Amino acid sequence: MVRFLALVLVLAAAAMVLTACTDNGDPAPENGDMMSRLATVQERGTLVCAINTSLPGFGALDDDGNNVGFDIDQCRAVAAAVLGDPDAVEYRPTVAGERGPTMQAGEVDLMVRNTTWTSVRDATWGNFAWTTFYDGQGFMVPASLGVSDPLELDGSTVCVLQGTTTELNLEDFITQHNLNIRVTTFDDQAPLSEAYLAGQCQAETTDRSGLTSVRATFDNPAAHVILPGTISEEPLGPVVPHGDEQWYDIVKSVVAILIYSEAYGIDSRNVPTAQTGSRAVDRLFGLGDSNWGQEDLGLSQTVAQDIIRAVGNYGEIYDRHLTPLGLQREGTRNALWIAAPCEDCPKGGEIYAAPLR
Amino acid sequence: MAGHHTARLLTYQGIPVWRHIVVIQWALQVLSAVAVAGLVFWFFTNISNAIDDRDIPYGFSFLERAYQTPIGEHVLPYDSSDTYAYAFLVAASNTVVLAIVGVILAISFGTLIGIARISSNWALSRLALAYVEFFRNVPVLVLILFTFYIMLLLPPVAESYSVGGRVYLHNGGLAVPWPTPAGQALPALAWLALAAAGAAAGVLTHRFLTRREAVTGHVSYPLTAGIATALGIALIFWIVIALLSGAAPLTIETPAPTGRFSTIEGGLHVRAGAIVMLISLVIYTAAFIAEIVRAGIQSVGKGQTEAALATGLHSVGVLRYIVFPQAVRVIVPPLISQCLNLTKNSSLAAAIGFADLTNVAITMTQTAPAISIFLIIMAAYLLMSLAWSAIGNIYNWRARIVGT
Repeated sequence: MVRFLALVLVLAAAAMVLTACTDNGDPAPENGDMMSRLATVQERGTLVCAINTSLPGFGALDDDGNNVGFDIDQCRAVAAAVLGDPDAVEYRPTVAGERGPTMQAGEVDLMVRNTTWTSVRDATWGNFAWTTFYDGQGFMVPASLGVSDPLELDGSTVCVLQGTTTELNLEDFITQHNLNIRVTTFDDQAPLSEAYLAGQCQAETTDRSGLTSVRATFDNPAAHVILPGTISEEPLGPVVPHGDEQWYDIVKSVVAILIYSEAYGIDSRNVPTAQTGSRAVDRLFGLGDSNWGQEDLGLSQTVAQDIIRAVGNYGEIYDRHLTPLGLQREGTRNALWIAAPCEDCPKGGEIYAAPLR
Repeated sequence: MAGHHTARLLTYQGIPVWRHIVVIQWALQVLSAVAVAGLVFWFFTNISNAIDDRDIPYGFSFLERAYQTPIGEHVLPYDSSDTYAYAFLVAASNTVVLAIVGVILAISFGTLIGIARISSNWALSRLALAYVEFFRNVPVLVLILFTFYIMLLLPPVAESYSVGGRVYLHNGGLAVPWPTPAGQALPALAWLALAAAGAAAGVLTHRFLTRREAVTGHVSYPLTAGIATALGIALIFWIVIALLSGAAPLTIETPAPTGRFSTIEGGLHVRAGAIVMLISLVIYTAAFIAEIVRAGIQSVGKGQTEAALATGLHSVGVLRYIVFPQAVRVIVPPLISQCLNLTKNSSLAAAIGFADLTNVAITMTQTAPAISIFLIIMAAYLLMSLAWSAIGNIYNWRARIVGT
């Protein structure tokens, strides 16, 4: 009996191997060779979006447990564009150090997770679809320390989040200025903040917007200062996996729609459904004779209407999530470059995308 | 008669092959070998196809490049211009030191709890039982984070608790005076080597005198003689080296607050991450070791204890000379698996910012291929586990019952 069972087991294993081998011989459709990502997403009915859950303003949970933030709304905009429903998003919380492997494995359709666009990441992680927020790395210290310049941090311990560009920039900064700084690396924001607040490290470093966001969660934000100046360039934006150019172009176009809607003065309350007389506005919202490539991208003619009605334009998204944190926009690089009608172009900001036409 | 002919062909030693035990056993062996090989082959082709399809970077050439990223704490000297390969070694040495110190403490502590567990003192044994049941049933990551938050309740470095200006305790670590080479490293290293040789001589002296005492009955105080030999050799060479080099080989360095942030410099500074990992891993693993020790002691027949007591041995002596030497044979194999667990659980250190092997490796994935890095650290943990197993096997071999 025992031997009989063993025989059955072995045969089952052998059968498994054989079927596995034949499976392997087929062209693998799950690798996207056969189906475009757009078709995959539409068939699935949800957009899988890698996000942050612990950076208020960019990606965090609200009191009801919903994902909210500047980054989250970009996921919602893409879902509105390709699925017609901004809520059809499956959020995939991802810690900083997992981002590369997550993108490389192609597990997610999109990642909007305060991710800095760098050449290495562009080459190995995926394609970056425009910059939606310009940032730079700064330092936060307790006001009581009396530090006013990052160079004064010589001799201190600095806490940093693992798997971030800030971790790499910090080393450049330390070496460049020949500073004696101890670095403590955490894989998650919560213990990092606790360590900083308890004084285990004298300073915390990350993107200035991140510091502003983290500081806003403290009991006494006024007791902490973000030092002036930045030590790096941190352009943040959405990332798509390599290997599907149509999908990359779709996400870029969605970002462009958010930006140009603001430039044209169209927000979620005044989305045009009939011709407005402005050729640019009519083209963007699919109301005129010409279009901007919706068809080539596999999107509906009036996709911009869906997006703006669902999430609003870039300025609305910014005002909804980042302005309350105290991240002022006017006069910064995150103001628009373009404005229409353009009387005093450029506006001085750097938020820009390829013209939609 | 074709049928008859075929039947003749399909027999082996006069028995039809499908019923012959030797043939069936061979067929099963071959089939399972094919199945295993097939599975392994499938896994590897699947992985390599996926790597190709998705253009996932792979390779080991990065090992020669400079790592250029800080490592929070390191037992070995480290500079950010060192290579990835060396950075791996630095990170692994953090893990190894944590594992060795952790295992020593966990075994000592766990043995005490295990003995307390079967103590005739009711309160003590219940307390030990409560300890074991509580800590065995808490996830180790939760315990690590809990210890971390407790540690944060200590004052920050500028307001450290200080013991006579020599020992400093703060939420970033513990600094204690530590012997360090006064000038050059060479005299210090030479003395350490000679002192180690002295310690070995002491052990040999102890062993020789113990044996002689057992054989001849000549009373010679082996323990005292052994310690005296070791200390004597160390002291003689200390004086010799001090005279030769003009300075004591080692001086005690006292930590002191320095600089704008009153950070503690000098002496031995054990950082918060290491302390938290050590405490939580020791507390956790000791609970398991306590049960192993208890089971081991209880596995020794009651008659042994009774006979030993009847010879007039006191109860500590019974445990020390009769029960424990027998129990150890039962204790060691599962104990080794706890050593492995402690070593592997140390990989959770990224949660609290201790620069162990896994923490550093995850950081490396930013600038080097993740698959290659994880292959390397898997191999490193395997190596550490095999080392523990080897120690266990050597012990088992030495403690084996000869001639039965």
